[in-house]
Amino acid sequence: MNISSDNIKIKQVFFSEVFLLKERVIFHIDVNSAYLSWEAVYRLQHGEKVDLREIPSVVGGDSTKRHGIVLSKSIPAKKYNIATGETIYSALQKCPNLVVVQPNFELYLNASNALIELLSEYSSKIQRYSIDEAFLDYTDGEKHWEDAAYEIKERIKRELGFTVNIGVGPNKLLAKMASDFEKPDKIHTLFKDEIKDKMWPLPVEDLFMVGPRTKAKLNKRGIFTIGDLANLNRDYIYSWLKKPGLLIWEYANGIDNSIVRSEPLPVKSIGNSTTTAFDVDNRKEAHMILLALSEKVSMRIRAINRVAYVVSVGVKNSNFFSYSKQMKLDMPTDSTNTIYETAKKLFDEMWQGEPLRLLSVSLSELLDNNFYQLSFFEDENIKEKLFDRTVDNIRGRFGQKSIFRSCFLHSGIDPLIGGVTIEEEYPMMSSKI
Amino acid sequence: MKPIEMIAWFTKDGYPIPLRYRLTDEDEENVVIKVDKILFKEEQKIAGNRMILYRCESIINNTLRVFELKYEISTCKWFLFKM
Repeated sequence: MNISSDNIKIKQVFFSEVFLLKERVIFHIDVNSAYLSWEAVYRLQHGEKVDLREIPSVVGGDSTKRHGIVLSKSIPAKKYNIATGETIYSALQKCPNLVVVQPNFELYLNASNALIELLSEYSSKIQRYSIDEAFLDYTDGEKHWEDAAYEIKERIKRELGFTVNIGVGPNKLLAKMASDFEKPDKIHTLFKDEIKDKMWPLPVEDLFMVGPRTKAKLNKRGIFTIGDLANLNRDYIYSWLKKPGLLIWEYANGIDNSIVRSEPLPVKSIGNSTTTAFDVDNRKEAHMILLALSEKVSMRIRAINRVAYVVSVGVKNSNFFSYSKQMKLDMPTDSTNTIYETAKKLFDEMWQGEPLRLLSVSLSELLDNNFYQLSFFEDENIKEKLFDRTVDNIRGRFGQKSIFRSCFLHSGIDPLIGGVTIEEEYPMMSSKI
Repeated sequence: MKPIEMIAWFTKDGYPIPLRYRLTDEDEENVVIKVDKILFKEEQKIAGNRMILYRCESIINNTLRVFELKYEISTCKWFLFKM
């Protein structure tokens, strides 16, 4: 008797394990006009009467940059056909009354952190996709997903002051497509049975990962809607566009098995670049900019406890033509001096002498800084390491500009160039969903 | 919303309590206002920026006035929000 009841127990366990592969419930939360909304709401909190979201307004236009561009726009601004990415100049021509506000990245980071903090109350599986978007796996959530989504949307509006769209689906792809439907302040679903009616009629360029080049290729062969793409034969799309083609075909069919990644993927390379306000046409100035970029990038690599084997330098000239050069070091490094000296050498070897508008320094082939083989020909430069870390500490405690190389004094060049003026490292924005 | 000078005390739980503040008027007159009573306080986290709102009552020039003060935690600044 005992044996047979044990058998039944074993069978039951097996049964429920098979059933664990139930459909997931994924949310994609997307802040409506993030930079603009956050700025609008910050101003209201500080007593301003005007809500930027209600008037034609944009965020953009750094006066030190060459061409300010629109980073975010209000709904009234959209009515003037103002698009994200266009120049402020062109936007002002479309709407002379346009209010232009400067970006404030510290504000955006605070707002983003507050959003993630609120979302964390609903699930431990959160993937911060960008500064204003996040995926949340609500499969094992306590409430019904509809109640949870509504509660999240309302709480963000009430407690944090801004609106979001929430897309709900059985995977990240569908959730992300859904959140892009009518805005602002809405919840949309895209479950498997809704794909045909809600997603397939859309133009193929609306599909995630389909950019202007892919759209052109698809259009040439008569594929104009997501539905057209989805209904192609799988082997056909593979033989034509290979793996990337298969990926978008799967997406068109709502297939995406990627998990909501709460831990970021390991960093493969790290770099900084700058587009200068005026063309750089002399070696000394170019070297100084490379030094400032090296300072920034080496600070960042030390912060993530890595060393790099490969240093790469890139330039773009005033004809918008880019070229680069890289080299592998015998011993991986995180030292500002080594990186700078290598960058300088690569630059001198490749620069044609023409005016430049963009310079970049990147590091790749990264290793954990605990394990690397010492080359027999270079002794570990302990003083160098100590110096770099001391400077990092001082900058961390007293600000990035508290200590810098004297060559930058009165030079008109920033001693640390690259990225936005926030001290932390954020590996967001990958092309992988 | 005006920035103001403030004297406050802090409770053991880390809450600032406004005591009295000084405003500089347009006519260059410095007015010191004592906070008689705090009606309620509310913490806001608009766009991630933490501020504490205090609705207060004081007798100013023989009239009972209600006003709102705000304290911005990240900058340690006090503001007169509404009078």
